[in-house]
Amino acid sequence: MTDDTVPRPDGGYASAGSTDVTTERDTRAADGLGSGKWYRQLLVVAGTEYRLAIRGRWAIAMTAIFTAFALGLTTFSGSSVGPEGFERTVASLAVLAVYLVPLVALAFSYDAVVGREESGWLHTLFALPVDRALIVVGTAVGRAVVFAGAAIIGFGAAGFFLLGEFGTTGFDVYASFLLATVGLGLVFLAVGVLVSALAPEKTHALGLSLLAWAWFVLVHDLLGLGVIAALDLTDAAVSAMLLANPTGIFRALVLGSLGAAGDAGFAAVLAEAGLSTPVLAAALLAWIVLPIALAAVAVRRRRL
Amino acid sequence: MQITITDVHKRYGDVVALDGPSFEIPSGSTFGVLGTNGAGKTTLFELLVGHDRPDSGTIEVGGLDVEDAGHRVRERVAFLPEHAGFPAALTGREVLDVHARMRGLDAGDGRIGDVLETVGLADAADRAVSGYSNGMGRRLGLAAALLGEPPVLVLDEPTAGLDPRGVATFHGIVERIDRETDATVVLSSHVLSEVERLCEEVAILEAGELRAVGPVDELRTASGDGVTVVLRPADDRAELLDAVQGRGAVTESGAVIEVTCERDAAFDLLSAVDSALVDRFEVREPGLEAAFHDALATDGDRTGDGQSTEVAEVSGR
Repeated sequence: MTDDTVPRPDGGYASAGSTDVTTERDTRAADGLGSGKWYRQLLVVAGTEYRLAIRGRWAIAMTAIFTAFALGLTTFSGSSVGPEGFERTVASLAVLAVYLVPLVALAFSYDAVVGREESGWLHTLFALPVDRALIVVGTAVGRAVVFAGAAIIGFGAAGFFLLGEFGTTGFDVYASFLLATVGLGLVFLAVGVLVSALAPEKTHALGLSLLAWAWFVLVHDLLGLGVIAALDLTDAAVSAMLLANPTGIFRALVLGSLGAAGDAGFAAVLAEAGLSTPVLAAALLAWIVLPIALAAVAVRRRRL
Repeated sequence: MQITITDVHKRYGDVVALDGPSFEIPSGSTFGVLGTNGAGKTTLFELLVGHDRPDSGTIEVGGLDVEDAGHRVRERVAFLPEHAGFPAALTGREVLDVHARMRGLDAGDGRIGDVLETVGLADAADRAVSGYSNGMGRRLGLAAALLGEPPVLVLDEPTAGLDPRGVATFHGIVERIDRETDATVVLSSHVLSEVERLCEEVAILEAGELRAVGPVDELRTASGDGVTVVLRPADDRAELLDAVQGRGAVTESGAVIEVTCERDAAFDLLSAVDSALVDRFEVREPGLEAAFHDALATDGDRTGDGQSTEVAEVSGR
């Protein structure tokens, strides 16, 4: 090794006086400029995830699924729609979305951490001067943008179809449904990221994601109805039961925008629980933020 | 940039991963960390780059305590993990672009092109990583590590899984870094000849303990200064055996005859033996392999200057 050179492994080396370079690097490190600032790093990770999802055809696949189901259901229920076409279609789409959207979101996110670890990319990213939590949040943000885009385009296509059919009257209901659907998808995307950060292997993450889907989409409502039927619960308990399940929040939001007192299942009871739309929206937001925060904590402790 | 490791302990559950190694890695050197599987090499590297915290003890990089610095230590230490990988859908240039921007570097200043040239991937820069061979992937990983002009470069099993050509290319790159920069390179390897070729100093770990540390030449010498002359007889094996008797420890090993003797005696032996009796011959100098096996056989740690000290015992373990 030469003593009068500076690190220039990219090809050449500079001579003396060179220690200034190291000093500069240290100074940059000290003032936070040595590596990218945290928000830039977050955007780089998110942008990379976005790019990978586009190239991996996830974006196209999800858009196609949402478009096909939304248009199919809209067309199928077209003969029965009258002046209240938007509202009826939204009620039907909400039933579909409760099953479909969480499943697609979990399928898209269950490998966000553990899959990247198995491919070695996580090892590579963790070798950079960046907080691990940022990598998880960036990954979630990148995938969230792709998912939201797919949901808006897919379900939006049905909205445009209905717009041509019925005009703008009642479209606000559809817009609310669209927003709630995106929110529901982001919740399950966040849950998928959390599962991915906790699972030691991709297959475990897949299994846990399917269990999460079954619990939130199938089991929780049935249990809730049983408990409500069997016990004389207070409004607060019913509210808590609703808020404990993001699909229940979604139903309450959508049915609330329809002005309906109830549809089938748990939501019929929930309308009487007195939860306002802002509270429900805040709860949905918490369901998005909390799993990602927990995933960020988990990944800091993860041993590769 | 000097690295100082002081009495570092780390355990995972009941498994003691590191049991108090202490040594210094000189600034600007190429330093090897040797050990069997589970010896603690990867754990040491994980602590060195701030992926984990030691239970006790300290690691300093250029005077900066790694535990205090957290992930910011990787501003100084570039790390090529053993299992580094890249998204198949990205090109090599895009991977480096991500790395550059994560480090806050200007990706457009030609640095990416320079490191791609350095690792010999310039022609493949715009191909998807899915089309890269294992060796190309390792070189891309090295390029990513080099991107930030690191004062310290940590390479975990850098040539694992590479074919001989890939290994040779990798060696050439590391030698060039050693020659042209004052970066401190720390690498682990199971290939002793690789460490012997690339490194000036080594540390040998076993079960988390430091068994030996020092300059490669000194560790080799400490294992004995004898050489082995390997002779393959031409036709008359018995006559060749007679000719070498008394010139050292003679053993027959398959088709060859091995004579272990002092270095000067080896020259005498080769002069004395009729060349017509010998089909081929080879002189083996003492290697790192002997030092490695000696170190694993000892209970205490040994330094390159031949001094021995007991490894510190930690109460409760």
